[in-house]
Amino acid sequence: MAFYIVKRLLWTVVLMVLISAITFLLFYVLPTADPAALRAGRSPSPETLALIREQLGLDRPLIEQFWSFLRDLFLHFDLGNSFVNNEPVRPTLLDRIPATLFLVFGAAIVWVVVGVTIGIVSAVFRGTIWDRILMGGALLAISAPVYWLGLIGLFLFSEDIGKFGLLPGSGAYQDADGVLGQAHALVMPWIVLSAAFAAVYARLLRANLLETLSEDYIRTARAKGLSERRVVLQHGLRSAGTPIVTVLGLDIGILFGGAILTETVFNIPGVGRYAFEAISRGDLATIQGTTVFLALGVALMSLLVDIIYAFLDPRVRY
Amino acid sequence: MTRSRLRFLLLAMLAISAFAFAACGGDDDEDSASSGTTSNEEAPVADVPEGKRGGKLLELAAGDVDYLDPGHSYYQFGFQTIYAMHKPLYSFSPTDAQKAQPDLADGDPVISPDKKTVTVKLKKGVKYAPPVGREVVAKDVKYAIERFFTINVGGQYTAYFNGIDGAPKENSKEFKTFPGIETPDDYTLVFKLTKPVGVSFAAALVMPVTSPVPEEYAKKFDEKNPSTYNTNVVASGPYMIENNAEGKLTGYVAGKSIKLIRNPNWDPKLDYKPAYLDEIEIRTNASDANVAARQVLSGSKMILDTNPPAQILPRLERQFKDQFTQVASGGYRYFPMNTTLPPFDDVNVRKAVLAIFDREAAVKARGGAFVGDIATHILPPDFPGFEEAGGLETDLDYMKNPRGDAAVAAKYMKAAGFDSGKYEGDEEVFIVTANVDPGKAQAEVAKAQLEKLGFKVRLRTVPQDAVYTEWCQVPSKKVNMCGSAGWFKDFADAESMLVPTFKGAEIRKDGGNNNLGQLNDPAVDKAMDAAALLEGDERNAAWGAIDKQIMGLAPVVPFIWDKTTLIWSKDVVGVGNPYNSLVDLTFTSIK
Repeated sequence: MAFYIVKRLLWTVVLMVLISAITFLLFYVLPTADPAALRAGRSPSPETLALIREQLGLDRPLIEQFWSFLRDLFLHFDLGNSFVNNEPVRPTLLDRIPATLFLVFGAAIVWVVVGVTIGIVSAVFRGTIWDRILMGGALLAISAPVYWLGLIGLFLFSEDIGKFGLLPGSGAYQDADGVLGQAHALVMPWIVLSAAFAAVYARLLRANLLETLSEDYIRTARAKGLSERRVVLQHGLRSAGTPIVTVLGLDIGILFGGAILTETVFNIPGVGRYAFEAISRGDLATIQGTTVFLALGVALMSLLVDIIYAFLDPRVRY
Repeated sequence: MTRSRLRFLLLAMLAISAFAFAACGGDDDEDSASSGTTSNEEAPVADVPEGKRGGKLLELAAGDVDYLDPGHSYYQFGFQTIYAMHKPLYSFSPTDAQKAQPDLADGDPVISPDKKTVTVKLKKGVKYAPPVGREVVAKDVKYAIERFFTINVGGQYTAYFNGIDGAPKENSKEFKTFPGIETPDDYTLVFKLTKPVGVSFAAALVMPVTSPVPEEYAKKFDEKNPSTYNTNVVASGPYMIENNAEGKLTGYVAGKSIKLIRNPNWDPKLDYKPAYLDEIEIRTNASDANVAARQVLSGSKMILDTNPPAQILPRLERQFKDQFTQVASGGYRYFPMNTTLPPFDDVNVRKAVLAIFDREAAVKARGGAFVGDIATHILPPDFPGFEEAGGLETDLDYMKNPRGDAAVAAKYMKAAGFDSGKYEGDEEVFIVTANVDPGKAQAEVAKAQLEKLGFKVRLRTVPQDAVYTEWCQVPSKKVNMCGSAGWFKDFADAESMLVPTFKGAEIRKDGGNNNLGQLNDPAVDKAMDAAALLEGDERNAAWGAIDKQIMGLAPVVPFIWDKTTLIWSKDVVGVGNPYNSLVDLTFTSIK
């Protein structure tokens, strides 16, 4: 197992170099935009553009630029400066990460608990009214866009602009004091962000569980006189839940890049908002920084998932 | 393009500046030195409500400022903060949109008879905020302007100031001192200009770059590439951004918030700004305007950065009468017609287009009457030269009916040689516009108007950022009509509005061209050269007449004079400043 983890870590490094190379190509080589023009402001003269290219080192050979980029990224985790306001990207990104992690992991707990519970109940009570209500609700949750759900939540339940002021609204996270205050401010964002995920997980788990519960070894377990609860939770769920772990890892990894819509509606200063602002203002250095961070998140979560997988499913051996 | 950027849409590159003028019409020279303002004795003066001192205001904004460095910012929202924390030589009070008030300056600028020297006296006793704390002197303004030209600082409107003797045309790599800025004593600045452009130069002294920068403090930041003064900026106005003992801004978190507190060294006796508020927090990540606008209207002690979303506008009159104001944006939007290419190379065809054009429909496409008035010419309301150009009225038959007039259009088409009253040629009209609304919607209106006259129209939609830089501003692309153009003021002087967009000598064939219609009329150019030397009422009359002269050549379809709607909470006394169409933080107060 240790060899496997080391091997995967090395592959993760290779993957990061590849992603960095692609990011560099996208932003600096392919004609998507001219960083110098973005830095220069409105309608600069050719002379000003040339000076800025020199200032940014864009007049150097590409390979030299790529090497500097890699060196700064891997040795110093230096993501350069924003083209819009000259601010270094790294500290701003690091400042945004806690909010995103808090939002994502909190929501993940909600969607796993709710999704798994609903999945189990639906599978166990297959074909009953409960199954139909829960799966119908799941379909609704999947169909509701996060942005819409967020606005509806705010207009109905937020303390400032809602009809029934129950929960902190947009911007509350920034005003909150301490972890408990922040958690309170995140209750509505967690619910909104987790709704669709919980629904997907519930449907996925229900399908897997129904298939598992018809397996021979489950029949054997029941024949041995094990309680239904033990059959479902200990034998059925362990097998049916492994795909959930894979999906969960990837979902969390992707959300590291920011739950852009949720962060936007609820005005949470996370990585997603940072990326959104950078995209809307064409700030390539920042887009690049958030892209690399997202890639790192996905790569690390994939690694973690593979390791957990091995523990969960005894059939998997590396 | 962001909401705020819309205001400065084509402001682009003032390479077209007012300073490229050849001096003709010298017989207008005056005999003695004069005050360099574009004031008009009949200029409108607004009432501003008295406020109560104290309190904290929260501003919700969709995005961050561009820069806090007064030498680098060139963005409406950045200016709002900068004018609250700096003292440029002159600035605009919300009470008067046309005459700049002396801010750091002590009195109006004095322009020499030959228009090549501008002298400005400074107030005594103005002090910097901590950690600098010393008195502001003339050499600080000299340094501020000189550093502005370095690539490290990256000043973006160098064309307004490159008429100073010794100043480079564009940003340069090295810091240079300019012999053209003299400081004979601590309270006197003398600008020596290479051309007789003193009047327009004096008008440009309201720009943030004229805010003082202490060289001994800022030099170490400015030597970095790029300058880091932006996050170590030192204030001279009523407010400062919270900082530490070294001057590092602790109250600025990029993309998140700006915390303005009182500058303890600010002397209210030396400022026309009342600065009622004790503290202002600007939250720069309230990107959902719908939510933010509702929070402001139903909340307490809040303002919104700019226009609320269109769906909220109609509710303001009904539900929130005392919680909003509308200010003229000081600009106009228009459809330029390429006068060098058929079919718009014929003035009668252009007049027919103006006649048929349903400008009301174009305004509706942008959001309706709430977003602005239907334009009848170029210079906007509350702007020098507006009344002289006809005010809200027009004498031109092809501009009289805002919903279009088919009979008048047919008359001009016949005059152009099309006996049927409609276009009979083969030329296709090529329109380029943004791929998002409102640019897209308004261009579709233009297409429909042209089709009424029998033109075949090809409408190409491109990303907003490419509309100008890749198409409309590049004459070689042979665009017949630009579908979403606008021009907005930097300061209250008609020259800066009309020269870049209509002077033939300013056409740039190699790109970056702002004379989108490529109007090249020697009589217009000559009138502009003459008007550039005038001052006061004479100047406004001359530029008003030039507006009429241009409209007589019909190179553009002006259709809206923008207005900005500003909102605040019920316990806020909000004051909008027409200079940058935002809430003036130094005049706004809590009830």
